[in-house]
Amino acid sequence: MDMLGMYPTFYVPGIGTAWVMGIIGVIHVVASHTSVGASFLFALLETKAVRENKPQLMEFIRKYGMFLLVFSYIIGSITGPGIWYAITVASPRGVGGLIHNFVWVWAAEWVYFTVEVIGVYGLVYLIGKVDAKSHLKLTWSFALASWATMLLIVGILSFMMWPGHDNWYQTGSTNDAFYNLNFFAHLGTRTGSMFVMAVVVGLMVASRIEDMALRRSVVKFLAPIGLVGGLFAVMMFLYYLQTLPHNAVVMLNTHLLPVYAQGMVAVFVVSTLWLLFAWWKPHRIYTALAVAAFAFIAVVGVWPEERMRESMRKPYVAGQYIYGNQVIARDVPGKGISGEVDRIAEKGLLQLHPFIPDRLRVVNDGNRLEVGQLLAKVACANCHALERGTPLRNIPDKFHGATDEDLIAAFLQGPLKHGAQPYMPRIDLPETEVRAIAHFLAVTNSGQDVERLIAQQRSATRVAADASTPRSE
Amino acid sequence: MDIGTVMNTMRDPAGVPAHPVLFQALMVLTWVLHIAFVHLTLGAAGLAIFSFHRCSREGYWERLSMAMTKVAKVGVSLLIVLGVAPLLFTQVIYDPQWYASNVLSGRWAIGFIFTLILGYCSWFAFYYANHEGAKRHIGVFAWVGLLLFCLDGLIMHALSYQALLPGQWMDWYAPGGVVDTRGAALHAIQWPRYLFIMSLSVPAVGLFLIAYAHYFARREDREPAYRAFARSLGQRLASRGFVLALLPLLGWQMSHPAGSGLVAHPVGVLLVLAVIAMAGWTWRLREGTHGYLPLVGGLGLLAVLALWREVVRIAHLKPFGYDIANYVVHIDWPSTLLFFATLTGVGGLVGGYYLTLIYRAGRVQGLYTASRGVARLGSGAVAILAVWIAVFFIYGIAIWVRNSFL
Repeated sequence: MDMLGMYPTFYVPGIGTAWVMGIIGVIHVVASHTSVGASFLFALLETKAVRENKPQLMEFIRKYGMFLLVFSYIIGSITGPGIWYAITVASPRGVGGLIHNFVWVWAAEWVYFTVEVIGVYGLVYLIGKVDAKSHLKLTWSFALASWATMLLIVGILSFMMWPGHDNWYQTGSTNDAFYNLNFFAHLGTRTGSMFVMAVVVGLMVASRIEDMALRRSVVKFLAPIGLVGGLFAVMMFLYYLQTLPHNAVVMLNTHLLPVYAQGMVAVFVVSTLWLLFAWWKPHRIYTALAVAAFAFIAVVGVWPEERMRESMRKPYVAGQYIYGNQVIARDVPGKGISGEVDRIAEKGLLQLHPFIPDRLRVVNDGNRLEVGQLLAKVACANCHALERGTPLRNIPDKFHGATDEDLIAAFLQGPLKHGAQPYMPRIDLPETEVRAIAHFLAVTNSGQDVERLIAQQRSATRVAADASTPRSE
Repeated sequence: MDIGTVMNTMRDPAGVPAHPVLFQALMVLTWVLHIAFVHLTLGAAGLAIFSFHRCSREGYWERLSMAMTKVAKVGVSLLIVLGVAPLLFTQVIYDPQWYASNVLSGRWAIGFIFTLILGYCSWFAFYYANHEGAKRHIGVFAWVGLLLFCLDGLIMHALSYQALLPGQWMDWYAPGGVVDTRGAALHAIQWPRYLFIMSLSVPAVGLFLIAYAHYFARREDREPAYRAFARSLGQRLASRGFVLALLPLLGWQMSHPAGSGLVAHPVGVLLVLAVIAMAGWTWRLREGTHGYLPLVGGLGLLAVLALWREVVRIAHLKPFGYDIANYVVHIDWPSTLLFFATLTGVGGLVGGYYLTLIYRAGRVQGLYTASRGVARLGSGAVAILAVWIAVFFIYGIAIWVRNSFL
């Protein structure tokens, strides 16, 4: 029996699973980058404390460490697996593809995670309870282990964008996937950002230090690290842009920069000014100001950054071989993987998808709207909401509220069928399926209550079926 | 469509990078560590709450409540991080089952994350407030935390159990032929199994208390009477807890599908016997028995449980023609080497250094100065990480240059 290895669909109206994933991802990125950056700040500060005999610096490390325990090692460590759960329900085949390519890399990262969690408790609770040299070794090893988690995850994340060369498709080797074209640029950007984030959070903690001499000493130490980290991040980000595939560049220029560019510039300016101010007037670092700066950078900076990175990958979710809608986009001979687009074009999603109820496998007047809705959820909803006016690139607004089925079908059978839109998957469907989707979108755009109409058609069909069934009495 | 064929088609087309049995073994082994901390955390949380409400100004209950609150706090961190590995390995060999189950209960899978965060934050609030003479109302935070942890356990149980019932997936996804993409329901719960696994939290904290009393034997600030109280309480909790756990275990054993061969399966019988043996042993635990031995026994019991879960899973999926042994294999030696080298080198040296340092420092009242051996271990930890990172970059740059420029 010919079928595709597709999964049932989980749909979140309005924001889609993409935003669910984005929200969890942003929380995780803020928490994890802070944690990795802070680990190096701890190591540098503690080295200074030992060399210059300034044990009072350890008090700052202890306070910051306690904050991290809640912020990074509760929220951060839960949202880490949380991203897995989110992408599992959003893109089961996408996450499956990543897992099966990188399982050993992730397993190695898990070793580091475990070490890191044990380490952070040791680091915080053993201050003043073990000799200084042993604690310093703990702190430096914790910093290196923390950064190693970043080294490992960035290879996977950057592969999600693309391998950047043809080798991986031919060899299937994890090496070729992991050390992809934009790996080092991506790593540099995140490494620089982690210092900025850690320093910004560090300033919040420092603002609570009552000993002004200690506060001054800590802030004067932290601020330049944040500035250098920020400068490095910007340089590496500009390099990163040069390592992107064509579809990402088009997406960036046409859809993303017009929306996010101003915010990105604002974040750069605000963080630079904030760090310079802290360096200049360390005693004026008030908690409310520090919290506001952190919130601004986290929300206006990280959310667009993560949204852009997710969006630029489109239409793919992994390695430019799995589309967002779970269809395998191309052959990967090195792994024995075959593309599925042409099979779908020939037989249709209704016949090949294993989780289509039998009553919907053949389109008729009684189920066209329902089939159209289901196909739109399967083929489009990973990237688009299906409701008018909703935030996730909703399809009705993309069609400007068009109610002309032929016009909608023309797009589906034109640019979409031939993959002419660089940031859209190639979706080539049989005529009946195209017509069903076009019908659904036209009805949605007309403002009618689609769910009610589907329910009415379903009951009408049931009544007709009952009427045509001979009574046994 | 035949769901067995569907499941085999849903497997990731990339195949697996080593023999599937290797992932299966790692999945079972790492689950033992994960569930051990689940039990310890839930047991410690329950005991912390019990002690908190019980505590008068006399006796050791208040002190015990504070200690168990800390244990639960650290335990949650560890159970989360240790849960990542079995989750990962499950997705490698049982990807169709795990992903389908999650998608079918999508809201619960996402809800798990947020309720866990809320539960943990609530527990942290309790931890900060639970000091000597703490006000009674802060107990609410602890209850909220524990109840959310139990809910999260139920969600994980349901997701795991639904994965064993592929024959019902289509009925859950499209009841009456009407597709429901909301993922709004937990479709299947096997209460005896859930209750059995949860009930092991009681003996787990009992075993921990016995070890706890032993660990602090050298600390003068943990006086003998307090340690004796902890050990005695631990012994009672362990022995009675194992007896209590027998009831849902027998219920679970009786609820296996007819014809599956699970009711009288040797591993299932071994599990029942192991629980009975642990109950008997802890009931009559001698004063001279090393405090850590019962804990080792408990880990052994969990190993049998982990194995039994896998036997049950295989028995459920076999009739559908799903067998991990025929998963396509594309061996990937470099990444396999990466994991095992990291596990032994970094896990052994760095993890070993941290655990040794924490263990030894905790047994000393006042400042602990590392012995020569521990100091060397610390230097080794930093060195191995430096070497690991150096190799990572040298090796990576070579591949990157070859692929991108040559």
